[in-house]
Amino acid sequence: MLTPIVIDGLSDAALLFLVAVGLTMVFGVLRVVNIAHGSFFALGAYAAITLGLWAGALGLSQALSYGALVLSALLVAALFGPLTERLCLRATYGRGEIAQMLVTFGIFLILDDVQKLVFGVQERQNDAPLSLLGVCNLGGIVYPVYQIALVGLAVVVAFSLRWFLRGTRAGKLVLSVVHDAEMARFSGIDTAKVSVAAFTFGVFLAALGGSLASPITGAAPGMSAEATILAFAVAAIGGLGRVEGAGLAALIVGLGRAFAVYYAPAFDRATPYLVMFAVLLFRPQGLLGVVETRRL
Amino acid sequence: MQHYSRKTASLAGVLFGLVFGLLPQAAWGAGERPAQLKVGVFTFVSGPAASYGMPAKNAADLMFESLNAGGGLAGVRLEPVFVDEAQGTDAVVSEFRRLVTSRHVPVMIAALSSANCLALAPVAEQLKTPMIAWNCDTHHLFLKKKYRYVFRANTSTVPEFVAYAAYLLQKKADVSRVGIIDPDYAFGHDAAVIFSETLRRFRPDSKLVVELYPRLGSPSYSTEISRLLAAHPAVIFTNFWGADLENFVRQALPRKLFSQSLAVIALGTTVFEEFGQRFPQGAVVGVLGDGWYHSPAVRANPQAQRFIKNYQERFHQVPVFPAFKMANAVLVVEAAYRRALRENKGQWPDSERLARALEGLRVKTLTGPLTLRADHDGLTDQIVGVSRNVAGSPYPVMADMVRYPGELVTPPVDADPIQWIKTLPADYLERLPKPGSYGP
Amino acid sequence: MKGPRALLWVCLAAAAVAVALASPWASFILTVALAKGLAALGVALLLRAGLMSLGHALFYAAGGYGAAYLARWLGVTDLLLLLGAGFLSATVLGLFTGAVLVRYRAIFFAMLNLAASMVFFSLVTKLYNLTGGSDGMPLPVPTMFGLKPGQGLFYLTLACVFVCAGGLRRYLDSAMGQGLGAIATNEIRLEYLGISVNGLLFVNYAISAGLGGLGGALAAIAIGHVTPELFFWTTSAQLLLGAALGGAGSVAGPFAGMLLLEGVRTAASQYAPLLWEMAMGLCALAVALFVPQGLSGIVDLPQQWKRAVQ
Repeated sequence: MLTPIVIDGLSDAALLFLVAVGLTMVFGVLRVVNIAHGSFFALGAYAAITLGLWAGALGLSQALSYGALVLSALLVAALFGPLTERLCLRATYGRGEIAQMLVTFGIFLILDDVQKLVFGVQERQNDAPLSLLGVCNLGGIVYPVYQIALVGLAVVVAFSLRWFLRGTRAGKLVLSVVHDAEMARFSGIDTAKVSVAAFTFGVFLAALGGSLASPITGAAPGMSAEATILAFAVAAIGGLGRVEGAGLAALIVGLGRAFAVYYAPAFDRATPYLVMFAVLLFRPQGLLGVVETRRL
Repeated sequence: MQHYSRKTASLAGVLFGLVFGLLPQAAWGAGERPAQLKVGVFTFVSGPAASYGMPAKNAADLMFESLNAGGGLAGVRLEPVFVDEAQGTDAVVSEFRRLVTSRHVPVMIAALSSANCLALAPVAEQLKTPMIAWNCDTHHLFLKKKYRYVFRANTSTVPEFVAYAAYLLQKKADVSRVGIIDPDYAFGHDAAVIFSETLRRFRPDSKLVVELYPRLGSPSYSTEISRLLAAHPAVIFTNFWGADLENFVRQALPRKLFSQSLAVIALGTTVFEEFGQRFPQGAVVGVLGDGWYHSPAVRANPQAQRFIKNYQERFHQVPVFPAFKMANAVLVVEAAYRRALRENKGQWPDSERLARALEGLRVKTLTGPLTLRADHDGLTDQIVGVSRNVAGSPYPVMADMVRYPGELVTPPVDADPIQWIKTLPADYLERLPKPGSYGP
Repeated sequence: MKGPRALLWVCLAAAAVAVALASPWASFILTVALAKGLAALGVALLLRAGLMSLGHALFYAAGGYGAAYLARWLGVTDLLLLLGAGFLSATVLGLFTGAVLVRYRAIFFAMLNLAASMVFFSLVTKLYNLTGGSDGMPLPVPTMFGLKPGQGLFYLTLACVFVCAGGLRRYLDSAMGQGLGAIATNEIRLEYLGISVNGLLFVNYAISAGLGGLGGALAAIAIGHVTPELFFWTTSAQLLLGAALGGAGSVAGPFAGMLLLEGVRTAASQYAPLLWEMAMGLCALAVALFVPQGLSGIVDLPQQWKRAVQ
């Protein structure tokens, strides 16, 4: 019994990490709690499904639908990232959480209807990426290979993000702004540019999460609200702004949910929030959060 | 200044309150023939439930068109006013109120979801507006409460799921280990109890080995499917519907869930077209009533054949059973008005007369006979069968069909349904028609 | 400052009653909007102390469920008893959560409230046999001293609004209320004065929970049904939006904000059913970007201009 629980928990954790990582990164850099995060997640899913279906309809190789997963995330980021940051978010910097909440909740509401207008109100699906990889048998239980591969993919995303932030010039620029925006500005860094780039990158991560999850979850109205709240829970448990924290939190919540489905199904939905409440009560800054210093 | 503001404001409030209190409440709809008859129609046209709700909306469109083409109701044209149930229960209740009080809609076909029916019924009662439930089938609707204005044009969860259990038992399937995965609301929980209690009545050794209730609209059933696979049940029962059903079947198919266990996919016929020949073979399926588009009764009914033909031409799909439920509900509205007109010498009925005309109404629907019982619940037959691919059809058909007469699978008025199941006579199964006895 | 406020109050009351006279349905919408306004007032009360709750739906929903349980368990249909049950259950819940949560500030306070409301949301959804699951629970058509009140609910709601707004005005003008603003600006100074900041916040939290419960009970009775969606974070966000839209600075603000929101939502869902969220979203953006003080800020604008000219 333990093997399927661990496998299910890990694959759930991978999805949760992909949902939350963009949110936590944006908070780390911009100190913005982005309620609209789930909207970008959903847009990524919708875009991936639409692109994949187009590729299928054009008779292109089905393997291209994996490319569509990444391409759609790039598209969503390019379309919405700079626009949202310049037009809406910029005005709220330094004005406290309430203004940020209002603005990002406004964007969330608007994008919810944009999704309905563009993609319709029916559930959408493209499981080509899922069926293409086939299934495998682990411990007597049949799993889609894609679901297992997603765990590896989440790990890759986590490590490339770490490498990007710590190992590249662009990443170091971002970190310097996070560490001390005032100081960064004095040393000639265009903080405005860094902000827009960082936010766009956050949107990309959100959309990538949605597009990678879409072969399993599909896309339907209401998915933004669900993604936002799960991302909040995972990011807060791990420590807002901490990428490694989001990974750890996703593992705890994912495994917790899997155990709940097997042994206490009534609590499977409450797991993320019970963990969130318990953790924040004793460590308000989250598991890996650091008090009062801005770190990523 | 502040003090003054409070005084002024409360004074204004009291004054307006007094004025309004003396105003007579608006009365309307008594006896006068309207220019057109508005009918409120509640269904899901957006969200994950829309794949189930849209066929019903399509059916309503067709039925009202054909009614109007035939001269309407004694010369009065009918106009459906659609309400999307996906707005959430409070918005649906407020729409119901708005339609009655500000758009003067005198009769409602509402609703698809059991949650909405339970919420709307007291409102209909309060506003004295006849409401015909068209799909919601929780047996709690009429269990403890007596309504004057609320009726249901279809059966409740009790006959629907007794039928599936009876079918398995009659076929002598292995029901020793049962797994249930149902949506997490009344419909799912009720069905689980009714199904497993009926099995246990005749096979006391039947055991529930796993019982899961994922929330409505869950995007992924991955963990639940693993859990079902790991439990190795002989029978898996589900009454998922809409996008939930599509998602569950799509995710479970490659994982061989349906080849490991005998599946009872209660609403499987609604996704036959979606899955085509990939739909699990030999799964027990049905239509929660008698709304199967290919049943002998439907094939013998010219009106039903016209409906199917129009439906296929316009929407390029076969009408699944929610479409028939809606069509039949429209027929109930029509029949009630005709009866009320007849019994009141052609005078247009107010809501009170309409409600009385609905009582005990018998309608020959597109799919078979329907009676509105003394408790306002509908009584129809139940058709159950198994999915089977046949040559020349792009999607499965129902084979080995049985048509259980409504009276045999429905508890009598005022009987406690679970108690009724627990005390079914020992020869009950022999008295039912046999699987395979209905149809070609 | 006070002149325009008084005007706002009178306008609010007059507009509410006038619209309610126009149609019974409008009085229903107004009842719900004002009930949500009461809950938003609770949110505004926290905002005044610099605390943002992302989980106030917890108390709004608790009010509704409290009333529903009283009806379900004891068969009570009396309006005032149902209201009392809603108010009490939310207040008691507020006392418990408040005792724990007033120690936290800023984003941590927001997140903990969010977590608490989402725990309740998930459990209420899942514990079907206890809560009716996602079907929710019905509330009876209320009676008042055995009479069916009909339109009475609207006037009772209006009365609640005036009593609560008046009472709150007095509370805010008191030393305790003044302390709230001081917490937002400089908490430490307050502590030096020997005032227990957490004690102050605790009282404030309990009042705000009670307001949420009262609003939730009124709305639930008007609608006649409660569902777990009431606990969901989007309900909290809407309450927050209403409070900020009206402006947390004045007592009338949250009501004005909620009336505007519900008005926009109702109008949009009639004329453009797919766009009501977008309409509300645009409201939120417009206020956050252009009128940071909210609607009551608009009332004060002429004076600010005057001052600017002088």
